Amino acid sequence: MASTACYHTLGSIQGQGYDGKTGLLSRLGSLPVKTVSKGVNIEMRLLTRGSCYPRSLKLCVVRASSSHSSVADPVRIPSNSNSSDSQKKSSEASLILIRHGESLWNEKNLFTGCVDVPLTQKGVEEAIEAGKRISNIPIDTIFTSSLIRAQMTAMLAMTQHRRKKVPIIMHNESKQAQKWSQIYSEETNKQSIPVITAWQLNERMYGELQGLNKQETADRFGKDKVHEWRRSYDIPPPNGESLEMCAERAVAYFREQIVPQLLTGKNVMIAAHGNSLRSIIMYLDKLTSQEVISLELSTGIPMLYIFKDGKFIRRGSPVGPSEAGVYAYTRRLALYRQKLDEMFQ
Amino acid sequence: MASMACHHALSSIQTQGLQNKVGSFSGKIVSKGSMIDMGLLSRAICYSVRRNLFTVHASSSSPVANPIQIPSNGESKDFRKKSDETALILIRHGESLWNEKNLFTGCVDVPLTQKGVEEAIEAGKRISNIPIDMIYTSSLIRAQMTAMLAMTQHRRKKVPIIKHNESEQAWKWSQIHSEETKKQSIPVITSWQLNERMYGELQGLNKQETADRFGKEKVQEWRRSYDIPPPDGESLEMCADRAVAYFKEQIVPQLLTGKNVMIAAHGNSLRSIIMYLDKLTSQEVISLELSTGIPMLYIFKDGKFFRRGSPTGPSEAGVYAYTRSLALYRQKLDEMFH
Repeated sequence: MASTACYHTLGSIQGQGYDGKTGLLSRLGSLPVKTVSKGVNIEMRLLTRGSCYPRSLKLCVVRASSSHSSVADPVRIPSNSNSSDSQKKSSEASLILIRHGESLWNEKNLFTGCVDVPLTQKGVEEAIEAGKRISNIPIDTIFTSSLIRAQMTAMLAMTQHRRKKVPIIMHNESKQAQKWSQIYSEETNKQSIPVITAWQLNERMYGELQGLNKQETADRFGKDKVHEWRRSYDIPPPNGESLEMCAERAVAYFREQIVPQLLTGKNVMIAAHGNSLRSIIMYLDKLTSQEVISLELSTGIPMLYIFKDGKFIRRGSPVGPSEAGVYAYTRRLALYRQKLDEMFQ
Repeated sequence: MASMACHHALSSIQTQGLQNKVGSFSGKIVSKGSMIDMGLLSRAICYSVRRNLFTVHASSSSPVANPIQIPSNGESKDFRKKSDETALILIRHGESLWNEKNLFTGCVDVPLTQKGVEEAIEAGKRISNIPIDMIYTSSLIRAQMTAMLAMTQHRRKKVPIIKHNESEQAWKWSQIHSEETKKQSIPVITSWQLNERMYGELQGLNKQETADRFGKEKVQEWRRSYDIPPPDGESLEMCADRAVAYFKEQIVPQLLTGKNVMIAAHGNSLRSIIMYLDKLTSQEVISLELSTGIPMLYIFKDGKFFRRGSPTGPSEAGVYAYTRSLALYRQKLDEMFH
């Protein structure tokens, strides 16, 4: 069903805008529009309502279009509550979202939440694979949660990046920590990508479920209660967060700390968790609470958004370098990739 | 020179404590007829010179290389009751992105390269059969990643869990609510006291820049001296002060209660600890070079540290064991997985 909707929108995409109030008539299978290269097979990951993200479809290319038609009810970001300000900044910035891969408790099927559990070997490989997919996309700042599985995912992914800038984790936990982590070379600073860790990007805190397996939770609380906590938007488990509470602190952080970066033209990557990322996507794509509950994000598959003129345009998931063809989502990204090719030939 | 001392020591090992610190290694080798690959701590040469040694008869303990007597409650009798033996593993992290670029790193939080990732996994294979109950790392990601990557290889399959104490909320949010799960967890404690030596105004500079800014001799002096710090930075002595203090106050008590500990840290913080364990002089510690990614094993028994070299990887022939208790542990793992 998603695929039919997808092909259908593909054909009608050129000049059409979307109604800001009602958004797309059907959110299923909405696609980004601006594909630049001709004659190339593009594998797209779709954000769908009722099924697991992503579903891959092979699509034939759309003619290059210069239209600025926005897709999927993009969010308008006011800056200084004066929208003309943001209009002056017509710079385009990339926003990459990566959900970390398999952790040691995923493997054991335990409720993890904010317990700081590391990646399995599989999770390590997923991170490296994800890195290959974004190796040609510019990144100026990285945000992660305060949990090692997200931080490792970011650092492992960046080992694959072609630009070879060095991620440096910022330390602010104490005056000494800040002082001790100072860099004394301007040149080196320029070749660095600041990495900011924030608890607000942590996984949803699962309270008294943390560390329990499915059986233990059923025994302790009853199957229906547990099901309710998992499926509802606003009912928290004992001493834990509801999805709504998680979304509040994640989206607030995104708006206060990350959007300003994007507004200054910085390309940003966020490496985080299922619930904190779907909260942000809920904000970017203006999803309802029902829609966000059924949103499943694949692990290790990065999601790309373009931020332009104060709007977020969903761009699906970048193709890995082993897949045939050159891809570019915007002209600017195509030029960036070209520069990298020139640097390394 | 080290090899001669080594072979010499081998034949005289049974009852004699070693006078000569060079090439000293432990006497307790249990299995007969198998090749044991030992990393040797030598004064002037790189740590982990490989030697294929033939076995030594099993012998009951003789302390080696001036082991340190750990006083507890100022009463040496107390810890002799605890005749438990515990393992202490030290791992220095592998290549970081600034190692690759030849920049002074210090406490700048730079991650591992792909090579550093592979080194960590290799190191993990070497310690996959050694019991670990607690892990200590620095507050820098390259050491933390090294520990977590190494543990993906561990056969016992306990789960390392990083402890969070930076705030009341951080502590509360990271609570585990299942006793069974807790038993299958290995607490990981991060601390800045295990950080690399802080290099002050050299941090981020390359060799040329430092020479231009400070002059080649000054830089050489800072790198080679024990107690002269670079501007706004730490001397090796200052680094050792805080690392060893932390080791004595936080880590030794764990060993005393019978916990097997792994420390994943950095060149200078680890050599500081080794200086303490092996009672090296400041001259000796300056020339001590630790291999990256090659774990070092010590046995803590009766309040004393016994250096056990470096565990061999599983691809190397033969069964290895450094003490009877480690041999039994490995046997248990084999039984679990067959």
